[in-house]
Amino acid sequence: MEKRTTLVRWEFVAIAVLALCPAWWALGAEADPYQAERERMVREDIAKGELWGRTAVKDKKVLAAMREVPRHKFVAAGSEAKAYADRPLPIGYGQTISQPYIVAVMTEHLKVDADDVVLEIGTGSGYQAAVLAEIVKQVYTIEIVKQLGDQAQTRLKTLGYQNAETKVGDGYFGWPEHGPFDAIVVTAAASHIPPPLVEQLKPGGRMVIPVGSPFQVQSLVVVEKRPDGTTTQRELMPVRFVPLTGKAGGK
Amino acid sequence: MSGVGIAYELALMRIFSIAQWHHFAYMVISIAMLGFGASGTALALLRSRLLIRATSCLRLLVFLASVSLVICYAAAQYVPFETYQLVSQPNQMWYLLALYVIFAVPFFLIASTIALAFMVCPEHVGRIYFFNMLGSGIGAAFTVAALYFVHPATLPYLLMLPAAAALLLLSVGNRTSLLVGVIPLILIIIACGTFGTVPIRISEYKGLSYARQWPDAKIIAERYSPLSVVTALKSSQLRETPGQIANYPMAQLGPLPEQIGLYFDAGAVSPINRFDGNLQRVAYLDYVTSAVAYRLVNQPRVCILGAGGGTDVLNALYHGAQHVTAVDVDPGVFALVRQTCRDFSGQLYERADVTPVLAEGRGFLQSRNPSDARYDLIQIPLSGSYSAAAAGVYALDEGYVYTVEAFSLYLNRLSKDGVLAVTCWLNSPPREAIKLLATAIEACHRYGIRDPSRHVVFIRAWNNATLIVSHRPLDEAAIVRVREFCTDRGLDLAYLPGIQAEESNRYTVLERDLYFEAAQALLGGSQDDFYTDYLFHVRPATDDSPYFFQFFRWSALPYLLRGMGAEWIPFVEWGYVTLVATLAQGLVGSVLLILLPLLLFARAEETRSAIPWTLVYFASLGCAYMLLELAFIQKFILYLAYPVYAVAVVLTAFLIFSGLGSLFSERYRSSPVKPVGSAILAISLTSPVLVLILTQGYAFGATWSDLVKVLLSVLLLSPLAFAMGIPFPVGLQHLSTTKPSMLPWAWGVNGCASVLGAPLATLFAMHLGFRGVILTALVLYLIAFGAFTRLRART
Repeated sequence: MEKRTTLVRWEFVAIAVLALCPAWWALGAEADPYQAERERMVREDIAKGELWGRTAVKDKKVLAAMREVPRHKFVAAGSEAKAYADRPLPIGYGQTISQPYIVAVMTEHLKVDADDVVLEIGTGSGYQAAVLAEIVKQVYTIEIVKQLGDQAQTRLKTLGYQNAETKVGDGYFGWPEHGPFDAIVVTAAASHIPPPLVEQLKPGGRMVIPVGSPFQVQSLVVVEKRPDGTTTQRELMPVRFVPLTGKAGGK
Repeated sequence: MSGVGIAYELALMRIFSIAQWHHFAYMVISIAMLGFGASGTALALLRSRLLIRATSCLRLLVFLASVSLVICYAAAQYVPFETYQLVSQPNQMWYLLALYVIFAVPFFLIASTIALAFMVCPEHVGRIYFFNMLGSGIGAAFTVAALYFVHPATLPYLLMLPAAAALLLLSVGNRTSLLVGVIPLILIIIACGTFGTVPIRISEYKGLSYARQWPDAKIIAERYSPLSVVTALKSSQLRETPGQIANYPMAQLGPLPEQIGLYFDAGAVSPINRFDGNLQRVAYLDYVTSAVAYRLVNQPRVCILGAGGGTDVLNALYHGAQHVTAVDVDPGVFALVRQTCRDFSGQLYERADVTPVLAEGRGFLQSRNPSDARYDLIQIPLSGSYSAAAAGVYALDEGYVYTVEAFSLYLNRLSKDGVLAVTCWLNSPPREAIKLLATAIEACHRYGIRDPSRHVVFIRAWNNATLIVSHRPLDEAAIVRVREFCTDRGLDLAYLPGIQAEESNRYTVLERDLYFEAAQALLGGSQDDFYTDYLFHVRPATDDSPYFFQFFRWSALPYLLRGMGAEWIPFVEWGYVTLVATLAQGLVGSVLLILLPLLLFARAEETRSAIPWTLVYFASLGCAYMLLELAFIQKFILYLAYPVYAVAVVLTAFLIFSGLGSLFSERYRSSPVKPVGSAILAISLTSPVLVLILTQGYAFGATWSDLVKVLLSVLLLSPLAFAMGIPFPVGLQHLSTTKPSMLPWAWGVNGCASVLGAPLATLFAMHLGFRGVILTALVLYLIAFGAFTRLRART
């Protein structure tokens, strides 16, 4: 009896294994074919320092988020194969999805945590919002071009980002109903730093805003609101350049 | 047909500037011009067959050429090419190639009609060349005039008319040709007129394309001129107030005023602010960087060079200016502000205390008598769009507003207590603002200010900077006012007399404040070391090499590559990269399309011995002509001070006098060496004299009326242009009698040289200055003479 039971058990195991095989195979097929590329992107383009004189992104939360978000689902149809290359890509309507490294740098400089509420101006494809949604409690994002805003909203919901809310409208005046925010990220070009956004920033909060378009060597301005309500600004050059001899201006 | 050819070229330049960016126009057109050279090759190969039915072929070519003007223009509007995506999307290369092919077609056909004429009547080369030049001259003048009245997109259609007239002339007395050629062509023109023009496909990355997507955006008017198409767009989203207004107390002083944006060639924008006469509504203007100037002057007489939509005029009025002279070069701007947006702008340019002046800024100041035109503040506002500046697309622009000589002039036109204020965009890595500072300091020295460090203020916001140069050393009270202004508004001091390191880099904190460091080096007397050491070319621009926006240095290339990677170079220096690319592709294209086919198919026994010297002669001539023409156009632009007129007048005069020279050369059919020798001697003698007159006598007669200046210019350049018109047709004439099969070679080689001549001229001017360009041209002329004597010995 004893032996027979064992035999039966083995049979069960064998059948179970055989039955599960197709399921694993199916699961394997379901697994993201871009997973490896994403890993490579994070490893080589984002987390590796000093490449092209860059500063490495070190924040583990940011790196994890960049590993998680399927960037290829945020680019224009036909560009999926190039989604993980470190360059901006067109998404139509004269807009681009920023290069992964810049997205990572901007996110890192926001210094956000799990219980933060973040506002984004310039949803675009929704990629930056998705990266933030991986990290923070709630993301509010505003896009001026209706078609882009609608597409991004559908995309974010389909991908399961329940904590990202999209609105089509003018980002200049922020989203006061949900403010103040722990952090604000502006991805659209602006001629000046909008005062209403500075107002909607919590004391101690940070705002990151790019100078120049994604097709140029960008620098980023980080605005920090001190506890007393005054602000400081820092300009960062994510891509560093080496002065010719180091003598320049050093005298 | 020559007229149509040059008009089409100019029209395409304008169309490309609107659709993409003007430096790019240059690249596409130059390759299309290869069609000119390629036509010579094609005719050489088909020579015997074409000559049998020359007139019919000519008619067919004219017909095809005129139809291609519109078809190729329209076809190009369906090519989804985007300059900015060239780097990220490899298939853009194919679109670019498609554009090259499309636009080469009309130039190929037009050039074939002209080259065929040379082949049909070899005995009248001089006369044909004269009409070729005359036609080109008229074509250039016509285009400039037409662009005041029609949109550039209409020009390809309009040019079918003269082409149709040419066909009609060729078909007189030939019923078949009238029936199958002229009448269908007229029907096509009528059909085009009925269906209207195909609009220009504007890049979706240009400012206007983006703005048009805003929910309430509305285009309210458009004005054309040869300079630009200005589009006025109204939207609540427009907030063009570059600067540091984060400290602007919006709650107390109210929101920013509504704006209408004036978009230049669908790109850069200059805003018109809604103004109802109440200056308190534009109080935000006291928070922009350039407002610092008003801490140094009291109730000033202001002159604004590049007034645009009038923001800086309002700023002057807000700060209590006594009078404002608003100078702008673009007639479209004044038309829109003064007519279409008259009420919106609060009749800004109609006010008694504002005088609008349609002129180029520097020329305007030069033409005023210094004794009755002194200003307390001369202001040069931000120009161009931020993105264009940052990507270095202005590198190829000659700008006589930002040279050392120009800055000295501004200082000269200031009142005793006056200041010059220049605002510019900041770009990363820093270069434009630093070059501006270097230019100002150099100008101070030239003007006779011994210690500029007491005269300069240099402040920066997050994306722009303002530089002040005062006529008098700044006193302590003024320095205190500047300090307060910057502290209140969160602006950084990069330089101020007596500045301490800890005062700099406080608000928009940079990893390394290169602006402060540059000011210390430049004002501390170590300019030369700084220029040598700095990563970019920041040595001041001069009238001889007026490329302010050219920052690229070959010696810095390895450092740039190490610092940022090859992929980034275009994003820093688009303009220069484009220029080099234009030259490279012109070289490759010339070899592939013109020289290689000739070498492969030409019958060796006929030409072998004469090939090298023919090549050298016509290549040197083609190149030298382009170099001299472009260099002198630049010299005269400075003198005439109004770029569009200057180009039109100088180009037309050049072409017509060269044509006359060629007509004159027909007399010396039997003894060609003499006219070629004398012409080259004349060129070598007149060029330096002309340079001397133009540089030394620049100020002389500057206040004369425009008409006198134009007549004087034409008079001055006529002997040179006349002489320059002689060597080419004499060479052709000589070949046509000795070796007629070599004619297409001459045509083809000359075509190649012309294609390469334009980018070469710019490149040489950047590195050697215009004097270097002229000298190179003279050397080439001497080489040509040597080659001609050899050529005669061989043939």
